[in-house]
Amino acid sequence: MGFPTTGEAMGRRAMAGALALALCACVDKADLPRPMVQADPAAGLAVIEDVGCAACHKIPGVAWPEGRSGSNLAGFGARPLIAGRLPNQPDVLIRWLIDAPSMDPGTAMPPMPLTQDQARDVAAYLYTLDED
Amino acid sequence: MLDPAGPFAGPIQTVAWVLFVMAAVVMVVVLGALGVALFGPRKWKRRVGGERLIWIAGLAFPVVVLTGLLIYGLTTTARVADAPKAGEMRVRVTGEMWWWRVAYLDDQGREIVQDANEVHIPAGQPVVFELESADVIHSFWVPRLGGKTDMIPGRRNFMRLQADAPGTYGGQCAEYCGGPHALMGLVVVAHAPDDYSAWLERQSRPAAAVPSAQGPLALIDQGRNVFAASGCAACHTIRGTEANGLAGPDLTHVGSRQTLGAGILPNNRGTMAGWISDSQSLKPGNRMPSYAVLSGQDVRAVAAYLESLK
Amino acid sequence: MSSETGFDPELYKRFPTTEARPEGELEQLDEVWCGPRRPWEWITAINNNYIGVYYVGAAMLFFVLAGVLALLMRTQLALPMTGFLAQETYNQIFTMHGTVMMFLFAVPAVEALGVLLLPQMLGARDLPFPRLSAYAFWAYLVGGLCFFASLFFGLAPNGGWFMYPPLTSTTYSPGINADFWLLGIGFIEISAIAGAIEIIVGVLKTRAPGMTLDKLPIFAWAMLIFACMIIIAFPSIILSTLLLELERALGWPFFDAAKGGDPMLWQHLFWFFGHPEVYIIFLPAAGAMSTLIPAVAQTKLVGYRLVVLAMLATGFISFGVWAHHMFTTGMPQISINYFSAASMAVSVPAGVQVFAWIATLAAGKMRFNTPGLFAVGGLVIFVMGGLTGVMVAMVPFDWQAHDSYFIVAHLHYVLIGGMVFPLFAAIYYWTPMSSSRPLSERWGKWIFWLMFVGHNVTFMPMHLTGLMGMPRRVYTYLPERGWDLPNMISTVGSFMFGLAVLLWVVDMVRNFRPFGNKDAGNVFGGPGLEWLPSGRYSLRSVPVIKSLYPVWDQPDLARDVEAGRYFLPGAPRGERETMITSPINAEPQYLQRMPQPSSWYVWGAIFTAGFFLILTIQAYLVSVISGVLAVYCILKWCWGLDRPSGPATVDVGGGVRLPTYVSGPSSHGWWAMVITLIVSGMVAIMACFSYVFLWSRRPDLWQAPPEIGSLPLTLGLLAAAGVGAWASQGALKLDRPRSAGIAAVLMLAATLAAGGAFAAEASAWWNSGLRPDASSQGATVYALLAWQGTFVGISLLMGPFVLLRWLCGLVSSRYPATFEVVALFVAFTAVQGAATTLLIRLFPGVGA
Repeated sequence: MGFPTTGEAMGRRAMAGALALALCACVDKADLPRPMVQADPAAGLAVIEDVGCAACHKIPGVAWPEGRSGSNLAGFGARPLIAGRLPNQPDVLIRWLIDAPSMDPGTAMPPMPLTQDQARDVAAYLYTLDED
Repeated sequence: MLDPAGPFAGPIQTVAWVLFVMAAVVMVVVLGALGVALFGPRKWKRRVGGERLIWIAGLAFPVVVLTGLLIYGLTTTARVADAPKAGEMRVRVTGEMWWWRVAYLDDQGREIVQDANEVHIPAGQPVVFELESADVIHSFWVPRLGGKTDMIPGRRNFMRLQADAPGTYGGQCAEYCGGPHALMGLVVVAHAPDDYSAWLERQSRPAAAVPSAQGPLALIDQGRNVFAASGCAACHTIRGTEANGLAGPDLTHVGSRQTLGAGILPNNRGTMAGWISDSQSLKPGNRMPSYAVLSGQDVRAVAAYLESLK
Repeated sequence: MSSETGFDPELYKRFPTTEARPEGELEQLDEVWCGPRRPWEWITAINNNYIGVYYVGAAMLFFVLAGVLALLMRTQLALPMTGFLAQETYNQIFTMHGTVMMFLFAVPAVEALGVLLLPQMLGARDLPFPRLSAYAFWAYLVGGLCFFASLFFGLAPNGGWFMYPPLTSTTYSPGINADFWLLGIGFIEISAIAGAIEIIVGVLKTRAPGMTLDKLPIFAWAMLIFACMIIIAFPSIILSTLLLELERALGWPFFDAAKGGDPMLWQHLFWFFGHPEVYIIFLPAAGAMSTLIPAVAQTKLVGYRLVVLAMLATGFISFGVWAHHMFTTGMPQISINYFSAASMAVSVPAGVQVFAWIATLAAGKMRFNTPGLFAVGGLVIFVMGGLTGVMVAMVPFDWQAHDSYFIVAHLHYVLIGGMVFPLFAAIYYWTPMSSSRPLSERWGKWIFWLMFVGHNVTFMPMHLTGLMGMPRRVYTYLPERGWDLPNMISTVGSFMFGLAVLLWVVDMVRNFRPFGNKDAGNVFGGPGLEWLPSGRYSLRSVPVIKSLYPVWDQPDLARDVEAGRYFLPGAPRGERETMITSPINAEPQYLQRMPQPSSWYVWGAIFTAGFFLILTIQAYLVSVISGVLAVYCILKWCWGLDRPSGPATVDVGGGVRLPTYVSGPSSHGWWAMVITLIVSGMVAIMACFSYVFLWSRRPDLWQAPPEIGSLPLTLGLLAAAGVGAWASQGALKLDRPRSAGIAAVLMLAATLAAGGAFAAEASAWWNSGLRPDASSQGATVYALLAWQGTFVGISLLMGPFVLLRWLCGLVSSRYPATFEVVALFVAFTAVQGAATTLLIRLFPGVGA
């Protein structure tokens, strides 16, 4: 029986470190903002302010209002579910923004007066909210 | 005030420019004299360093300038505040905490249409506003159209405003009235004269729940029922229904307004739902309670119903 | 110049005297005027050198506190819709910022400057009523701190510093917040009036001999006008706060439109006080400017007479412009036109002063020391504020600017430029008089520039936001209106200003060393008497004044004064004394004996503050007890008054003998009572105005007064009271064997007659069925009766007081001062009662 030599110990430590890093990379991949092409988050914020989404939702980047009827959207980009029910994916989110009751009849969120392009931009903005 | 849109605001801007130029000239004179006094050559200092400066610059010059300004000011104050004459359009606005009760009057001063928070006027003619208050002192101010006039309980003040062109003009309460005074906004919409009569005619009709592309008829019906069952009629009026409460704004044509909450939120189903559900988080202290008792679907239904009241 | 009092001006030629002063004279003077030795003596101190410093310190404390509130407000407004402060918190904070700045800082600060400087400047040893200044100070400090503390309990008033009803009525302000304002500020106004009485009597009656009115220092002129303005203006707000409190507590409808009241009554009463208030704040600061600019430029003030006339004109005209705060309320066009014209006119005398300062700077050579910098910086800012003032005096412009941030900009420019900067100049200039070390010049220059730039960065953008439509008193604003950037800039500037004040506070801690034996001396080379070497007794001897600039024009003055070669080189009676001189020519009249410290006025102040503040929290029994104790302390204090002893005349130097006891219209006590009665009379006049105003709004509500047949009883009893009081003091002076007793009994009877008249009148009205909470007529009639009742109550204390003094053998025909002063009060009570009774009985008519 021999104690690990210095070189072996170092080698094991290096392996452990590399494994940890790889795992981190996997974890990060799951948290990456969902990719959206041809969508403008800045335009999305402008739409949010014009339409008044903050009347129900507290939204980072919008100082007022800070509505409490709907959920706080801080960290929305990292959440797995929309409204605790639907998968948080771009196409689902866009449909939700335009006509939420059709996907969840019990919701308080009415259909919103958004075009497809506006909904895309809003979704893109919401997906930038990945910090709590 | 910097962007006047009518004949009761334009002259004020001119007055402002004249005053600003006057002030700038005087400032130059004062700074010049001061500069000479502090840093000037001895000969100049001697000219400035005596009682003569006081007599000329401190007495003669101001008396002349101020007299001129006074006459100019008195003549500019057009007959803004005279009582209404025959044939003038009249609107009565009553300040409430923290919204505006609007009533359109006929020439005898009788109220023909009630509304709230958004005042519609025909463009191109002076409109006499009759300003009152139901509770504390408020002040009616639409800067692009004219100055402000206070609304004082127990009194009726008159003020004329005119919008030269059709458009939307924002305003705000300008006398501290407690609580969310900062959120007591106002919208004035000016129409081309023929559009205006059509608008007034539509406004005077009672509510007809018109099914539109915005939601199925069932939801609107459900909303009407929830409205009736939740006691909303205790404060709100919807002409053509049994709702005839007077404590809050008239909702007969609320769907057609540009804003909610007295000028502070855009008006759509979403913001309407948010307002009904929790107006206290949007305008703390306002007189409408938050409705934590309504389910999500009920809130949506009422919002859809109210938005259908165009 | 002909003599005013019969004093022979040849006697002045005996001064400066040449013989050596007696051994121990200076030591005795020093001992008699000694400062606090034991710890509590710091609280009972009454010497203006102490009270003045305490007073300035307290005022600056409130300045810093209200300034912190401002920084909180600016933080909230830096960005649209920040949630830094809740709506209700912000509403309380902005109300307190305005209220504390106007009532607890601005007026007390300039009054404090007067308390500290005037005796020295005038050559007096102290103010004429030192215990009254101590009482006023402690009431102000205790009351002010308790009032400010309401913020920490969420109970601070939130109706704006002008507290307009109906917002501040119980319907819309149900909590006790508004009561804190009404009761708290109400009695702080009493403090200001006490100070004003001191200053008027001090400036007119305690000057150095020979200081005729045309040699009166300009600061003293400013303080005199300031004090007279307080006497006329403050009663209006005392009345209005009383009326609103009566409406809130008892439902008497003065401002409630539903029962005949009118919110506009408040606005008229408030602004009749409120506009002169800002000139009350400005004039002493302007007087300070007119004093230190000559010192800084080392030349005499150009246009002294013009400046005095300008200050008088400002004071006078400022009473005629109040409704320019009400241009948007729908007043008739003719009133609006008049007030616009008057508001423009009032800027002319201010301009005269500004150009006098510029001319003085030009005539001399400006040295850029800290007082000079603050003076010039203040001048520039003040002129800018004055110009925006002319702009808002133009009615159409005001219709846009009123109640917007443009007005916030205007008011801060005139107040900061016209009062705060001159105050800092004055602090830097006069600190060497009170402190053994002057403040740092190096720091001072940094503080000045930081404050000047900070002020402009804060308030200049507000002109723009106002014109863009941002109203006042908003706890936040919506984005996308273009208001964001100017508000952010204003916030940055406000922190610069705050930093400057912080640095100043640090420098004060580092350098300000008061109450020592040595002061820093005439660092800036000023010309006034305050720069002569002095001690706690002020000047060693009181000089004969020959010029407006004694230190410059009479070069040996310092040496001679210190050597005791003028009037009053010691304490001839072994007590604290000062000379009383005549108002116009300052001819010596008599020697005033001044009190030693005691504790009655301190306790009186605490119990007075307690009465009002405990009333606010509605602990009625405790409040009444506190009030009774306050009255007791004040009576104990009064009991010690008017106790003559010792020789009838005394040598005050150079062989000149002056009496030690004078009563009648020359005496300082008589003057103080007359001024107090003018204040009371003004309250009564404003109350009568309120009655007529409310009648004019709702004549339909007026019901018939009581039967005319009951009127002669009231009037007869009042006549008896007035005549009795007058006869009483006359009887005393007759000097017959039983004069004292007869006089005392007559006075008591007079007060009882006044009481009887009140009871008769009040019951006549009650029996007529009119009730105070029923209509505006009821409210105003009973308010007038209540005011009269207060005076009757005080008279009913004075009657037995006088009787008690007689029973204790303290009344004598040679010493009628107490009787004269009481007679004045009782006679006034009778006249006030008659006038108000005739108004409510005969106007608008006698029958239904």
